[in-house]
Parts: sequence; structure tokens; C-alpha cells
Amino acid sequence: MTTSACFHCALPVDPDNEFQVLIDGELKPVCCPGCKAVAELIRDTGMSSYYAMREAPQPGVGRPPDDATEWQVFDRDDMLAAFAELDDDTAEATIYVGKMYCAACSWLIESTLAAQPGIDSADVNPVTHRVRVRWQRANSSLGNILGKLADLGYDPQPLAPESTARPEVAEQRAALKRLLVASLGMMQAAMFAIGLYAGDFQGIEPDMQLFLRLVSFVVTTPVVLYSARPFFAGAWRGIKRRRPGMDLPVSIAVGAAYVASIYATLTQGEAVWFDSVAMFVFFLTLGRFLEMRARHRSIDRSTALLSVLPNTVTRIEHGVETVIPAGQLVAGDRVRVLAGESVPADGTLTDGQTSVDEALLTGEARPQARGPGDPLVAGSINLDGAIVLLVEKTGPDTTLGTINRLSERARFARPEFVQLADRIASYIVVALLGFAAVVATWWYVHAPDRAFVITLSVLVVTCPCALALATPAAFAAAGTRLAELRLLVTNGNAIEALSKATRIVFDKTGTLTCGAPTIVTTSVLDASYSVEKCRQIAAALESASTHPIAAAFALGHSRIVASDHRVATGEGVAGTIDGTRWKLGSANFVGAASTSTGDAGTIVYLGAEGDIVARFALEDSLRPGTADVLREICQLGPEVSLASGDNESAVRRVARALDIVDYRSGCSPEEKLAMLRAAQQDGDTVIMVGDGINDAPVLAGADASVAMAEGALLAQTSADVIMLGHSLAPLVVCLRTAKQTMRIVRQNLAWAIVYNGTALPLAAVGWVPPWAAAIGMSASSLIVVLNALRLSRFGGS
Amino acid sequence: MSILYVLIPLALLLLAGAVWAFFWAVGAGQFDDLDTPAVRIIMDDDEKPPEKSEP
Repeated sequence: MTTSACFHCALPVDPDNEFQVLIDGELKPVCCPGCKAVAELIRDTGMSSYYAMREAPQPGVGRPPDDATEWQVFDRDDMLAAFAELDDDTAEATIYVGKMYCAACSWLIESTLAAQPGIDSADVNPVTHRVRVRWQRANSSLGNILGKLADLGYDPQPLAPESTARPEVAEQRAALKRLLVASLGMMQAAMFAIGLYAGDFQGIEPDMQLFLRLVSFVVTTPVVLYSARPFFAGAWRGIKRRRPGMDLPVSIAVGAAYVASIYATLTQGEAVWFDSVAMFVFFLTLGRFLEMRARHRSIDRSTALLSVLPNTVTRIEHGVETVIPAGQLVAGDRVRVLAGESVPADGTLTDGQTSVDEALLTGEARPQARGPGDPLVAGSINLDGAIVLLVEKTGPDTTLGTINRLSERARFARPEFVQLADRIASYIVVALLGFAAVVATWWYVHAPDRAFVITLSVLVVTCPCALALATPAAFAAAGTRLAELRLLVTNGNAIEALSKATRIVFDKTGTLTCGAPTIVTTSVLDASYSVEKCRQIAAALESASTHPIAAAFALGHSRIVASDHRVATGEGVAGTIDGTRWKLGSANFVGAASTSTGDAGTIVYLGAEGDIVARFALEDSLRPGTADVLREICQLGPEVSLASGDNESAVRRVARALDIVDYRSGCSPEEKLAMLRAAQQDGDTVIMVGDGINDAPVLAGADASVAMAEGALLAQTSADVIMLGHSLAPLVVCLRTAKQTMRIVRQNLAWAIVYNGTALPLAAVGWVPPWAAAIGMSASSLIVVLNALRLSRFGGS
Repeated sequence: MSILYVLIPLALLLLAGAVWAFFWAVGAGQFDDLDTPAVRIIMDDDEKPPEKSEP
């Protein structure tokens, strides 16, 4: 960002606008009245430290904060019943908060809500983006709370109680308990083991030895029976599927050592291995826990699908309009959709004229005109006219729902290399077990009294622990590092694919380009007007329109005011300025001879009383710095392709500007997916970078996928990596980090193999006692983890 | 050394108490959010809303 980025949302600020906010005695520029209002609200409630603590700026506020009345509808009894759990005088609801990105956001929400009268508690979970609020029904209301969240610039979405059950929370709780039991048990067992080992050297009373062994048994038992249970379960599953994983030797080693230690304790045997068992289980549980945390960072898909659709709809029944929760819609309902609202279900337009933005579904950036009889799809945005929709399909039956299902399926059909890794692992495991059996037999024949100890050492020392940690530890460290760089990794497997990428396919609209049209050239045809004057007149005329093109004309400040606005759907706008009737829109609408547009994008004419005054060329402009990013990517190795649902000329223009040779236009999601599959068949490892919902199946089908956080939420959820912010630059860092991660994984694997290869023969000939085996195993794991942690400093700050 | 026969069981009782307390805290949802508390400590909750300075 150059000199002026919006203080609140970090978007570039038009140098001409006058919006500023006084924060900490300094005037900061902001980009729009929405951001100004949010920033002032945050300042006036004494929460300015939010700005110092947040990790990512909040993307565009979008909506002026003063239409809080729309939330009042949630105070009606039927709405409360649908979204809240009610007591006599308190109520509780769970709200999904869109646009929440970091811990500072959750602090801001919690503190702001807590400061409101009548609110008993507000718990924010930044990982699941949910707020649990409890309020007194006499002093506050759901509508108030939602309005407050909207005022802060977030996107609140009350959730029906049945959709709030969170399997992840239960999983994390169980994992935490297991980890704690394993860590405490490990520490205790190690303490008593020190006493026992000291006793071996210095001599110990037999009674004390027995006592310490019994105590070790007491602290180790919960570790084996509780913390290690997932390993036993996993081993059993592996046996049933005839594909033994790492869990099997782990279970055998843990189970055998535990049972043998109990036997030795009861029979006053030579040695016990409770400490080794507990340490072993602790390290493995820790690895699993870190892996689980990384997995949970992905965002809940069903909620993301929800948030594209409206919360409430206006249903027309016998001429009476009632507002109902969107979930209660059924086929056959008639629904009124106002300008600016999103279409809640698939259906047919029965009344009214409008244009809709279907960019989320088709990637087509330009608005599509729709009249009576035309189909409408859920999730598209009604741009400029109030219409009536006859609902035909709702929820999962809609096009949006189908796309969501498609992406789910592509998601499950993916990981071949994961399956391969599993197969290889099961061979290693079988080989290890076979080797241990051979060792056991040989020693049983030659020295039966040492056979068990040596076999145990072999099992522990060759525990594929370092081998098992080598990859997840590096991936977890890479994930943390990338999160610092504002890249969220939701699927660890993606890192391998990113490091091997040979082809990167970009979507156009919203990925390479900003996703919104801007004015590229202004040609004045009537010399009595200046460019500046034309822009101001256009801005004044467009101020009445909600069309995305209108945003391109907005100047922020304009001393010219137009009156008597008329919006002609799909054509343009008209208005009166100082007694002159002005028109802004298509050549037809303004009365110009339609000149050939050549290569340019959308052309908009400005005319006064039939005379053409100016011509504006609008284009969806490239993201700043995109050319540099693509050049750096090419230097790293991968080739770059462009696949877009947009029309030929628009795609060609972008491809030329960025030197992309391989480009496709007019692609449906299926065609994009087919193109991807074809490239994969040719041996390419394909990365897809996109943002639209129509990309979701494609994102899921790629070897790895990256989504821009500005884009539709659904695309993010099937993406493996989510980029926060407005630039493509982090993609280069991401590719570099992925390569470095795989380098570290290879180092780790090499080390683990060398360690196991050396330790195995030593243990087999009986030179390694079990305690040394456990220490060797732990040390080799520690080295692997420390090596992985080097990633957390990769690439400097 | 026979004092150990008393002290170690005592320590184990304390350990059991600690595990029980942790399980209770996990069950009560105190560990559901592992990210926010780390930064909350550096946030100034006692910052006063500034005087209205604007016209």
C-alpha cells in the first residue's frame, strides 16, 4: 500500500475524499463512511487498542452502519424461537460472525458486547467464528446484539440451535484430557524411574523397589488405558482393513512393555519399563494433538454456505408480506427480493425487471438482465429492482447446494499420495514386526532369559516415532509460519503439492483482477466540459444506484447534487442537475451512435439533453503487483495458466497484460475441472488459485488450492490455503515456504531412517537396554521437532 | 526412607486432584479457545473512552 491506505480496512483511499478519523490524537484516512463509522465506534467505546493488536485488517465494511432496523425483525417471537434458547427472563443464542480474523477481533466483540446493558455473557471463539451470547430479555434483544455486531463491521448470522453442535470441540476436549494425563503420567513415571535406576547402581531395599514399581504402575496405567486408547483403536482398525499402520507396532510395544512390566513387578523380575511406556505414549499423543489443532483451523463448510444466503426473507401470502427465517421457505412460496439483497432460493422471476450479479456462481463479472419468466439462482445478488420470486428449490437442492456437494465429492476423491504413504507405512510396519519376531525367535533359542528385553528394545528403538513425527511436525511449523504471513493452511497435504507444483491455474475475476470495475479512460467529447466535471456529474447521477458499476464512479465527495433520479434497469441512470436532464448509461440509452468498442471493456456514455458529452471505458483492473508476482512464480518453476468463466476478449486482455500464454475463456466449472484433470493426466501437479463459488469444485479437485479471503466464503472452505489481504504476493512466500518445508521433511525422514538403521542392529544384538531405547527414541523425535521448528523463522519477519 | 511410603501416596492424591480439576475445567469449556487468551493479557481493558472532541 502506498501513502494512503484506509486505517480500518487497508483498502486504498481515494486521495480526493475527506473521510478521516481522529485516533490517538492523529487524523487517519479512511476509505468510506462505513469504515469511518466503525472506526469511530471502536474509538468512542475505548477499544482503540484493537488496531494495535489485530493481525489482519477487516475487509471492506460494505454496508453503512445506520440501517440497524433490519435486525429488529429478530426480536419477533417466532424468530427468537427459531434462533435462541429461551428461559423465563434470559435467552441464549449462538451467532456466526463473518469477517472475524484474529484474536483482536474476538476481544473487540467480547468487550463491546460485555459493555452493553442487559448482556450477561459473550463468549467468542475465533477459531470457529462463533459468539455465544446470553442476555436478559427485559434489557436487551437479539436484534440489538446483531445490530451492534453489524455496526462493528462484522457479518453476524444467528444460528439455529441444532446447527451449533460442534464435533471439533468435543474432539479437542478429549484430546486435551488425553494429553494432560499422558504428560503428568510421563513426568511422574520418569521421577520414580530415576529412583529405580539409582537403586540399580547404589542398591535398594527390595521393599522400596517393589513400592516404587507399584507406584509407577499406578501412574502409568491411566496413560496406557486412557491416553493410548486411540492407538489401540487405530491398530485394530488397521488389522480389520488388512492395512496395518504405525499404530500397530506402537500398540504392540506399549501393550507388551506394560504387561511385561506388571509381570516383572509381581514376580520381582529384573526390570520394569513403565517410564519408557509413558514417555512413548506422551510423545505420540503430543504429535497427534498438534496435528488435530492444524486440522481444526479449517472453517465449517455448512455455515459458509449459509452465509451467502440471506437470514430472512419477505414472503408474500395472499397479498400480505411477512418476514420469515429463510430456513422456513418451501417450494411454491412467493418471495419479494429488494435491490441489493441476495436471492434466497432457486426459482423463477414472476414480477419486475432487474439485473443480477451471478459472479459468485458463474464468474461472469457483468450484471445479467432478468425479466418475468427468467430463472434466478440462489446466492446471486439482485442489483437494481424489487422483484418477486416464485421459489422452486431450496437449501441443498439449489444450484449452490449442488456446487457445495460437488466440491465435497472432489475433496474425498483426492489424496492419492496420502494413500501411497499409508501403503508404504504399512510395509515398513510389517517389516519391523517381522524383524522383531526374527530377533525374538533367535534370542529365545540362544538365550531365552534375554529374549523379551531385547525384543522390547527393538520394538521401542525402531518405533517409527521420529518417522511418524517427521512430516506432521514440519507441516505444523510451516502452518504456524504461514499463518504469521497471513496464509491459513487448512489442509496439511497441500504443502507437499505446493512444493511440487508444475502448473498454477488462476481464475481471473477477483483473483488476478480486483473483481470490481474501475474507470480506465475518460474521453470528453464536448470541449466545454473538463474531465473532472464529467466525473463529478457521473458520480452525482450514479449516487442513486446500487449497481457495481456505480461504485466505480463514486468520488467520495462531490459538490454536484442530482435530483429526480430515474434508474433504467440494465440501461443506465438519469437525473437532473441545474435544470439540465443528464443521462449516463449504454449508447442506446443516452442516444449515442454505438461505436465499435474494440478491445475495451464496458463503455458508458454521459449525455445532456441528447448530446453526448463524455465516454468512460470501464474495466476490471488487475490487482496491483500481479505481474511481478507471476514473474517470481515463473522463476520458482511452475508454469502459469488462466481459466475464466468470463468472455474471450476480457480474458485475452488480462492474459496479454500478464504475459500468460495458456488461457481459456468461457469455462464452466465442469470445463475447468476437466482442464485440470487433463493437466494432471499429463503428469502436472496443479495448483488452483481462485475466489468464486463456481471455483469450489475446481479448487477441491486440484492437487492444492488457494483462495483469496475476499472471495466467497464457500471457495475458501474447499481451498487448502486461504490468503488474507488484498495482494497475491503471499503466494510466492507460500510456494517458497512449501519448498523449504519439504526440504525439512526430507531431512527429518533421512535422519529418522539413519537413526533407526543404526539403532536397529545395535538393539538386535542386545547392546541397547529398554531405557536407552526409550531415550534414543525420544531424542531422535526431539531432533526432528527442533529441525521442524527452524521453519518458524523461515524468510525473516 | 520409610517417610516415602507416606509422601508418595500423598503426592499421588494431589496428582489425582489436579487431574480432576483439569478435567472439570476442560468440561466447563475453559480450554475451548486456545488462541485468544495468549494475547488478551496485552489488551488494555481499562482504557477510558476519550472525550468527545468532534463538533
